[in-house]
Amino acid sequence: MSVWTSWKFWAAWALIGGLIGLFAFGFTTDPKKVPSPLIGRAAKDFEFQALGSGEAHRLSDFRGTPVVLNFWASWCVECRTEAGELEAFHRKHSPQRDAVVLGIAIQDTVSQATAFAERFGKTYLLGLDDPGGQIALDYGIYGVPETFFIDAEGVIRAKQIGGVSLDLLETRWSSLNSPES
Amino acid sequence: MTDLGTISLMIALAACLYGTVVPHWGVQTNNWNLVRSSQNASILTFFLIALASLILINALVTSDFSIRYVWETSSTDMPLFYKVTAFWGGLDGSLLFWLLVQSMFTMIVAFRYQYSNREIIPYVLTTLNALMAFLLILLLGWSNPLELQAVVPEEGRGLNPLLQHPAMAIHPPSLYLGFIGFSVPFAFAMGGLIKGRLDNEWVLTTRRWTLLAFYFLSAGLILGGQWAYEELGWGGFWAWDPVENAAFMPWLTGTAFLHSVMIQEKRNMLRIWNVVLIIVTFALTIVGTFLTRSGVINSVHSFTQSEIGPAFLVFLAVVLVIAFALLFKRIQMLESEHKMESVLCRENAFLAQNVLFVSMAFTVLLGTTFPLLAEAVRGVKLSIQAPFFNTIIAPMGYLLMLLMGVGTLIAWRKASVESLQRSFLSPTLIATAATILGGVLLPAGSATGVYAIIWTTTFVTVTIFWEIFRVSQAKARQLQASWITGLFYAVNRNRRRYGGLVVHLGVVLMFVGFAGKFLSVEKNLTLQTGEPVAFEGYTLVSRGVEEFPVANATHRAAVIEVIKGGQLLEVMKPAKSFYPTQPQPLTEVAIRRTFSEDLYLIFSSEDGSDQGSVTLRVFSNPLMAWAWAALPVFTLGVGICLSYRPKRLLTRESVLRERYESNYATRSAG
Repeated sequence: MSVWTSWKFWAAWALIGGLIGLFAFGFTTDPKKVPSPLIGRAAKDFEFQALGSGEAHRLSDFRGTPVVLNFWASWCVECRTEAGELEAFHRKHSPQRDAVVLGIAIQDTVSQATAFAERFGKTYLLGLDDPGGQIALDYGIYGVPETFFIDAEGVIRAKQIGGVSLDLLETRWSSLNSPES
Repeated sequence: MTDLGTISLMIALAACLYGTVVPHWGVQTNNWNLVRSSQNASILTFFLIALASLILINALVTSDFSIRYVWETSSTDMPLFYKVTAFWGGLDGSLLFWLLVQSMFTMIVAFRYQYSNREIIPYVLTTLNALMAFLLILLLGWSNPLELQAVVPEEGRGLNPLLQHPAMAIHPPSLYLGFIGFSVPFAFAMGGLIKGRLDNEWVLTTRRWTLLAFYFLSAGLILGGQWAYEELGWGGFWAWDPVENAAFMPWLTGTAFLHSVMIQEKRNMLRIWNVVLIIVTFALTIVGTFLTRSGVINSVHSFTQSEIGPAFLVFLAVVLVIAFALLFKRIQMLESEHKMESVLCRENAFLAQNVLFVSMAFTVLLGTTFPLLAEAVRGVKLSIQAPFFNTIIAPMGYLLMLLMGVGTLIAWRKASVESLQRSFLSPTLIATAATILGGVLLPAGSATGVYAIIWTTTFVTVTIFWEIFRVSQAKARQLQASWITGLFYAVNRNRRRYGGLVVHLGVVLMFVGFAGKFLSVEKNLTLQTGEPVAFEGYTLVSRGVEEFPVANATHRAAVIEVIKGGQLLEVMKPAKSFYPTQPQPLTEVAIRRTFSEDLYLIFSSEDGSDQGSVTLRVFSNPLMAWAWAALPVFTLGVGICLSYRPKRLLTRESVLRERYESNYATRSAG
């Protein structure tokens, strides 16, 4: 019997092709962009004191502008690498006031967080989670860094685990401005 | 120096390409000297790769941070031991380590089997050299651990403190030895397919390679579990994470292969199946490496992603396509005339076991890649967690245990119903009695898995000991000697069989450990300083918190007195450890191990006030030590198996060697 008519022959190739194709498809997706039950829901409001100035802010103060809400910590290694990217995004968008970057440090102290911000030249709005870690709990933070993208209406539209890049920030931000996809 | 390393890797690549092409040419022109030259090329390759490795190790030991890899994986404050093990601690270095071992294996194969497998050895060398050439291209192109960086930092980033654990130093090389070990039987299968000569010799020749690969892969998995148990601080040892699955899949198919080749050897059956199994096993080792490096699937193992992913995928595709194309080209040659003679025979027990192993591997593969599949087909993100694997794999595991017991006593070819009754009646009765006893003794509502494990482990243990007892009795009677002498002779005469049974006993121990996991109790306890708290028969008393330096870290530990029956057993110190290079604290669990149970303490938090209370997460993990005891038992069993070499092969080899050498002598003389 010729192999060409054997089902095993075709099944083997289909399996191999499928597996390779599946892995190849894997390169086109980002496993770190994770679904969160919070997506599509209103971002829970919270209050925090700005690092440095000590002014009190609420998340709801920024309604009307898309918000990039980044959770970080001074003890987190990956946060160092993404610090420059967030800062660059902030500098690009702050003149037009078309995006707000907000960094909440979790499980951190004021002195360490301030030192970190100075060392990496962060000028965007930074604050500390409350001592009980309530904000991190509300947003289901698993580990830092994690970043939420909140649209002008205060609805969470995307979540990213791990460090972000300027490109990724721009892509997610522009999809915040487009109608619900 | 580092340039010298990179250059030697480039020359090694050239030598591998030479070794890929030349053996075929030698066969074509019937010039054995060309094949010999490729043997010599394999020596050259090994020493060149060893030189590059030494340069890297030297750079690690002397903290030469001008090399990016050294800066990424080590720091000056690390103990020397971990500086050296950082060689395989990172992705790039581990690829070099892989090549080092692969080139050593190739060299051994090139010289060891030149007489016994003369027809196919040129193509075995071709295969192995092609593999190495591919790996060298990947290494030089995408992840050269000897790459320099422009700015030389003062201090390195340090090895992830989680990885600074003795088991973690041995676990990766052990896994790699397992992975690479399977490349040898794979290369023999490929050599046979290319040459069009695939009798049973490759199976016999590579028997011990397969065993070694199986052993190192098993050891790697067990050590990885131990590391997770001691270092990750969640009380468990296996989480079905993609990276764990990546190493488990080749183990499953490799174990299937290890068993099914015995049928080929004894009965000349399953010849196609065995080639398929070794191809799949080898391909799965590459899938495993691919999954850990490509970042295609999310994993808690935060492996740094590298750009090497697509290149590795090409490698995988090439291996699969060539291997299966060759297989289909030669498939008619492999069809065997033998058929099963009866439903009730050991062959069928082996076959059923093979089907189970392969189904398990397929289930794990499906579970691991399902998130990708779901996203590709339906565009949804989802994750497959431990419950999926546990519900499907666990029952298959129990069935495998059952077959392990059946396979021990059932006869080859054809077993009569009466002989089955005679063999299995008492094991079945004893296993059932043990399960009923377990039902009485264990707390009500224990998981059914526990009972399944009690039944199957007892069944297997009884069959194994019954078999050993029966055979040594018979031998003792025949020799008119003591029972012990009988045992010694019986085992010595059939080392592979009894070594295998010892490995099976190791598996029984593992399953006993798994049963313990079903009975584990966990609790969050807040302990006020000086106030006793009861937990599972122990009394725990907190004596506050203390800080002390340990190697290159500082530990902040809760001091817990463990009291049982009014006696102070031990002062345990679960801690958080602080590393200067890694500012986040890590959990250092404290474990009190006994054969009946582990008391496992995790320091969660402390109340900062003077009075001070500490909060602990406390586990009682029964029978854990049994699972770890499996490793020494495996070692013993595999050792017994390895000490056996098939006589057939030895005789044939020496004959061929003599003939070859006399030929060579006459030709030289003439």
